[in-house]
Amino acid sequence: MPVSEEPLLPNTEPRDELAGVLAQFPNAATLVEAATAVREAGYRRWDCHSPFPVHGIDTAMGTRRTPLPWLVLGAGLGGAMVAMGLQWWTNAFDYPLLISGKPLFSLPANIPVAFELIVLFAGLTAFLGAIVLCGLPRWAHPLLRSRTFRRVTTDGMFISIDATDPKFDVQATPNMLSSLGAVSVELCHEPAHARTIPSLLVWAVVVAGLLALLPPLFIARARATKSDQPRVHLVPDMDFQPKYKPQTASGLWADGRAMRAPVEGTLALGDLQSDDHFWRGKQGDGWAAAFPVPVTDRLMARGRQQFNVFCTPCHGLTGMGDGMISQRALRRSDSAGWVPPLSLHVEEVRKQPAGQVFNTITNGARKMPGYGAQIAAEDRWAIVLYILALQRSQNATLEDVPEAVRPQLR
Amino acid sequence: MTHPIMHQRPAHMTVDSHLRLSIAPRWIWALAALGAAGLLGGLLSGWLQGDDLAHFYHTYLATYSFFLSLALGALFFVLLQHVTHAGWSVSVRRLAEILAGTLPALAVLFLPIAAAVIGRSPVLYEWADPQAVQADELLLHKQPYLNAPFFALRTVIYFAVWVFLARYYLKRSLAQDDSQEPQLTLAMERASPLGLLLFAATVTFASFDWLMSLEPRWFSTIFGVYYFSGAVLGALAAMILMAVALQARGYLRDSIQTEHYHDLGKLLFAFVVFWGYIAFSQYLLMWYANLPEETVWYLPRIQGPWGVVSVALLLGHLLIPFLGLLPRTAKRRKPVLAFWAAWLLAIHWLDLYWLVMPSLDPGRIVFGLTDILCLVGQGCLMAAAAASLARGRSLLAVGDPRLGESLAFENL
Amino acid sequence: MSTLDLRSADNTGNDPTRRAALVIGHHDYASVTQLVSQLAERSRTPLAWYVAFAVSAAWAGLFFLLIGYLVFTGVGVWGNNRPVGWAFDIVNFVFWVGIGHAGTLISAILFLFRQRWRTSINRAAEAMTVFAVICAAVYPGVHIGRAWLAYWLAPYPNQMQIWPNFRSPLLWDVFAVSTYFTLSLLFWYLGMIPDLATLRDRAQSRLKRFIYGVFALGWRGSARAWHVYETAYLLLAALATPLVLSVHSVVSFDFAVSVLPGWHTTIFPPYFVAGAIFSGFAMVVTLMVPARAWFGLKDLITLRHLENMNKVILATGCMVGYAYGIEFFIAWYGGNPYEQFAFLNRALGPYAWAYWIMVTCNVAVPQLLWMKSWRTTPWKMMIVAILVNVGMWFERFVIIVISLTRDFLPSNWGAYSPTWVDLGMFAGSFGLFFMLFLLFCRWLPMVAMAEVKTVLPHPEN
Repeated sequence: MPVSEEPLLPNTEPRDELAGVLAQFPNAATLVEAATAVREAGYRRWDCHSPFPVHGIDTAMGTRRTPLPWLVLGAGLGGAMVAMGLQWWTNAFDYPLLISGKPLFSLPANIPVAFELIVLFAGLTAFLGAIVLCGLPRWAHPLLRSRTFRRVTTDGMFISIDATDPKFDVQATPNMLSSLGAVSVELCHEPAHARTIPSLLVWAVVVAGLLALLPPLFIARARATKSDQPRVHLVPDMDFQPKYKPQTASGLWADGRAMRAPVEGTLALGDLQSDDHFWRGKQGDGWAAAFPVPVTDRLMARGRQQFNVFCTPCHGLTGMGDGMISQRALRRSDSAGWVPPLSLHVEEVRKQPAGQVFNTITNGARKMPGYGAQIAAEDRWAIVLYILALQRSQNATLEDVPEAVRPQLR
Repeated sequence: MTHPIMHQRPAHMTVDSHLRLSIAPRWIWALAALGAAGLLGGLLSGWLQGDDLAHFYHTYLATYSFFLSLALGALFFVLLQHVTHAGWSVSVRRLAEILAGTLPALAVLFLPIAAAVIGRSPVLYEWADPQAVQADELLLHKQPYLNAPFFALRTVIYFAVWVFLARYYLKRSLAQDDSQEPQLTLAMERASPLGLLLFAATVTFASFDWLMSLEPRWFSTIFGVYYFSGAVLGALAAMILMAVALQARGYLRDSIQTEHYHDLGKLLFAFVVFWGYIAFSQYLLMWYANLPEETVWYLPRIQGPWGVVSVALLLGHLLIPFLGLLPRTAKRRKPVLAFWAAWLLAIHWLDLYWLVMPSLDPGRIVFGLTDILCLVGQGCLMAAAAASLARGRSLLAVGDPRLGESLAFENL
Repeated sequence: MSTLDLRSADNTGNDPTRRAALVIGHHDYASVTQLVSQLAERSRTPLAWYVAFAVSAAWAGLFFLLIGYLVFTGVGVWGNNRPVGWAFDIVNFVFWVGIGHAGTLISAILFLFRQRWRTSINRAAEAMTVFAVICAAVYPGVHIGRAWLAYWLAPYPNQMQIWPNFRSPLLWDVFAVSTYFTLSLLFWYLGMIPDLATLRDRAQSRLKRFIYGVFALGWRGSARAWHVYETAYLLLAALATPLVLSVHSVVSFDFAVSVLPGWHTTIFPPYFVAGAIFSGFAMVVTLMVPARAWFGLKDLITLRHLENMNKVILATGCMVGYAYGIEFFIAWYGGNPYEQFAFLNRALGPYAWAYWIMVTCNVAVPQLLWMKSWRTTPWKMMIVAILVNVGMWFERFVIIVISLTRDFLPSNWGAYSPTWVDLGMFAGSFGLFFMLFLLFCRWLPMVAMAEVKTVLPHPEN
């Protein structure tokens, strides 16, 4: 078929730059034969186009296998490493999370997420890699301007040869394609100026883009300004529940209060505390001197442990009143208002009966708060016992030391 | 994506010397004699161990379940090809039919195990001993199922089904070699769905009876699928090795092509992954729930010497062959594929050994002469059975109407 | 070798000497393009489409209204209670995810198995998958109660300096379902690129040409691109195949890693996968039987395609039946009294009706498909497919609700009945599903034209 100068695209203007030549072939078999011939003719920048993958075309064109599988394998291995690293770092290292006695880094439990990330990474790579390796997206291409070429997605078989190919010749190349059995051959041109987007769409995108700016602007304004209004409850988030809160009113009862007083004479479990000696350190009207609990080694050890927990911060390990809090308070420049804790070894304390010490621990004295709520009654007695031992230790005489070990004191 | 082509059966494909297995009967007898000698030697060696044949019986069962799995996997392959009306596999299907054809011989090899159970001996199965059952509430609960007569009855049913199916397909396929009658293909295809149902039921309960009940207090619903996955893997590996060995001796040169190896390799790869999936499903669920009645089975297998085997299975049964079979070339190059088939066959045996042996001795691996002689003995007997079955017959289903399609297809 | 009568509508015969045609009628490349493209190109939308769309959109609207009601009020609007903390929400989630398995199965697994009949149905099945997964993903999203904090499920550095618990199967589910949705969408889109290019090249209006053109990415059918494209498709298929298995396996882990009787059993992962394929194929048949009639696609989606799908339904139905049987047997064999009670309670307890609906629909009804007339008669297979969908919904109900009503502690036993919100949301999710599917049928290529062209018996008439 002879190539005339005329059958250029009707919508191409002559001053557009030449992009290449496009030839249509009648069927797949001719296409494969022609592709073999074009390759053997030494062309480098050319391609075949068909509505579906034509069997044998890769061999005919000499297409090399795509490296995509290797990219996908790499991405899969990367996914495995990311998944394992993520699970180890988050659950075993950065914030060790102990779940049902399983090891912090539990391989069996980490397999599912690792598998999913392998597939996710590999799949995304397969998709994006294919798009990139196919040379897509390319919305404006000279071939897409050809009306004949529109059949390529229905039943058309084409060969296109790029004008930049070293062997390209504006006369010889179309002639060769004709001789290979092309049913039509035409020249394609680069568009001189490309603008194919409908103006309606351009406007729609611009308006949508401007509208999309509004929410961030409102958020930015809200973050930059202050307001004394209650916060906006976009979702109620269980903030408003149909229930009574303490100290609120209710029309249900005559007294108008939502909170109900317990029945007269009600006692909560454990609130009876009838034993004055044990619970308040009193015998009759005075402070008890004796202990309401058996004095044992265990009690002493317990007392030491509880003293070290609750008392030492202020009173110090030996009860000298030199605990860390006191020391720090005294070091501060504004320590004028600080009342240092009493040494437990001063006469004033030493002469107190055990019940009175117990009462001080329970209810506090001067600036010392009461510890009745924190320390169980039995433990308070244990502390009293330990304080007695401390006082004895700081005020001992030689007579307190057994005869047998006195020589070692030298 | 190629065009569908109606393939003509190639004219030159007739049963000729390139297809007919020629092997002298004396070699088959020699193989059988070697096998029998091996088994007797194993029995003797096991007896000398002085443990009332406990080790011999366990290693015999492990190896037996290995060779049985090859035949059952091959039977499944045949059924699957027929149920899907497959074309590509015609060129290798005869190998599977021959492999499945050894099931009658395997039924004979089961007799020692059946004898132990019928003799009420607890050498393999604790529940076979009536006194042990009376002493254990759980075994008493299971007695309606786990008892010698019912066990024997079920075994007869299993083998009846398998031998019937294997013979049904082999007979019709051989008849087609001469008659080239397409109706035979139709008959085989029609029987295949029912055959698969029977296969699924029998293989599941056989694996429960013969392997899971070794530790009668333990149970797992996926166990049948686990045995099945290994069986198909083993059968595919065995078929690849058979094809390679036969081609090396000049058979099947034209019919089994790179494309068929590629497809077998892909299926092998798929079943490597499938086995890993099933094994992981069972392990994860028991590991996670941490129930004593389930972990009792895994504990000896993940600690001590058997723990090493577990790691070897994870690597050798899943990760290494996964990476090894991943490249396209590994499935298309005969020596490479044969290597992986041999590897997987060996590791599949190890899998079954690991399944059976810790129930005898959870703390030790005693691998020695008894094990080797059992393996060699059963292997030779199975090979002899396969060879006598195939002798003088075509190694290719030449009469299959889809042979042309099989010879012409190409992978993407 | 004889040739087939291509005009015959019944191509379900089995003749070992030749392969049946996968496309009937005398179609060539151009007529396939014309047949499929005209559906998307119609300038006037049929009234029936508007009616169907209005109905499904109304239900979808109800769905979103009820989600709003739920979010603003709290999950108390559902019938969930103690001990039945998971009910319609998770039943529907598993139901929809399961349906979403057929598309990728058809696209990926059947592709790897060279089942070329998939080419006529894969596009619609993949679309169905994407829409079903959307319906599924809504449920766990809203059932967490504070739906606006759903992003806490993602492992991102936050001011609380705490991370999600990666040993929880519920988090695995987040990864599995989101990966599955992403890959299904990519797979669907990648397959659609050449067909979008077809619609671009045939478009009569500039706007249509532009919109289809944008999504076609400038596809020119280049042979070098086809080579990469086919490799990518194969790779995605190879990745999607284990992904399909993993997704429903992970869903099964949600239950099976616990120690609740009826939930903890090792066959759950493959059994769930088989059930998912079973229900998914049933949904494909449910959609395809009317679609091929209404859209005039009987030449492409032939009786043979439907018969093959029915065979898959039968096969997976048998697998599901196998799992039911093995579960029951091991419940007895295992000797655990709690397990035994759980299974007897399913069959004989207060919700026995649900159990027997499940067994009837999932095991008994598919056996009808052994008969060829049930596999090849559209109205008959519709009955089976719909009943299978009913049965598979009840399977999830049986597993989740019945197991939760009866756990180890009799004092903790309870009962469940759905509220109108539960029922409305369930119906509404169907509305959303059908609305999306109708949009797909109207504007996108329903059949993979480029792929069908490779299986035409006589393409170059």
